[in-house]
Amino acid sequence: MKYKDELIRSMDFLAKDERTIFIGQSVKFSGNAIFNTLESIDDSKKIETPVFEDVQMGISTGLALNGFVPITCYPRFDFLICASNQLVNHLDKIEYMSKGSMRPRVIIRTSIGPKTPLDGGPQHTADYTDVFKKMLTNINVISLEEPEDIFPAFEEALLGDRFHATLIIENGSFYNDK
Amino acid sequence: MNKKDLIDFEKRVQKVYEAGEIKAPVHLSGNNEDQLIEIFEKIDKDDWVFSSWRNHYHALLHGFDPDKLFDLIVEGRSMGINSLEDRFYSSSIVGGSLPIALGVAQSIKLKKETSKVWCFIGDMTFETGTFHECYKYARNFDLPIEFVVEDNNMSTNTPTDLTWNKKSKIPNDVHFYEYERNFPHHGTGNWVLF
Repeated sequence: MKYKDELIRSMDFLAKDERTIFIGQSVKFSGNAIFNTLESIDDSKKIETPVFEDVQMGISTGLALNGFVPITCYPRFDFLICASNQLVNHLDKIEYMSKGSMRPRVIIRTSIGPKTPLDGGPQHTADYTDVFKKMLTNINVISLEEPEDIFPAFEEALLGDRFHATLIIENGSFYNDK
Repeated sequence: MNKKDLIDFEKRVQKVYEAGEIKAPVHLSGNNEDQLIEIFEKIDKDDWVFSSWRNHYHALLHGFDPDKLFDLIVEGRSMGINSLEDRFYSSSIVGGSLPIALGVAQSIKLKKETSKVWCFIGDMTFETGTFHECYKYARNFDLPIEFVVEDNNMSTNTPTDLTWNKKSKIPNDVHFYEYERNFPHHGTGNWVLF
């Protein structure tokens, strides 16, 4: 299967779990590539948010503390920067700060913006994978390089025990290329 | 927990801190016992409480076991007391607990549960954009969350009203009280040689 098809298959798999909920801007309404992987999912499983990236990450943590598994979507890596406070200072540290009693399972989706056929420029195409791998000590960071990487990454993020939260980084260029 | 219990708890922390036995900052509460006791009469054991770096009184009044809390403080965890079992979260980042509290409130509504979220913030946090985003979202979606502003007009040692040149009006549906803190921002006011 191709890159985008594997993403759709993974989202359909996640949606079958009654704990999951998809949250972010453009999860219900079109506007970015991630939306195109969620079209088959019922709107009752989605929360369309305003643009408040850091609050969105905190909401995701809070939802997870009370039993949900949010798939929290940031269509560009550049936008995830705006959620860094809740991601780095809170979701990443919460297990240590609660002596292990809080392990909110959150799946974070983001994407490196493509540079072709249109170049979105320095605020829409950045790749911060390496710095997030350095900053996050308790969140698993996975780059989706090949179609076969995709389903196992989301399956592990939903069901695996090693990490309570996972940052999964897509590459917008691969939607059509691979 | 009555007023004397609260004061005595912080005195016990003060004593071990000044003996150099706590190798981390402590943010002691004081002078707001009456106000908090009154507010916590409305808070159910099943409710969630969100606090900040100055969290000892909130934890105690929400039913946190005093010995467990004391041990965490001695371990150096005063700035971030957290326990899922106690439905208690605190953050030492200004405004840090607000979005998480909002998420718990949203989860309660989605699951049609009956509990509530109580979020305690300081007067500087009240002025932040984070508060206004969270407050607006909470009210627009009728989420089960109560905000409590504890106004000592201090952020660390910076007066809030001077930095903003004035303070914003507190909405009618936000709980509010003023007090003057009787401990410094952190520590006890006495020099401690570790």
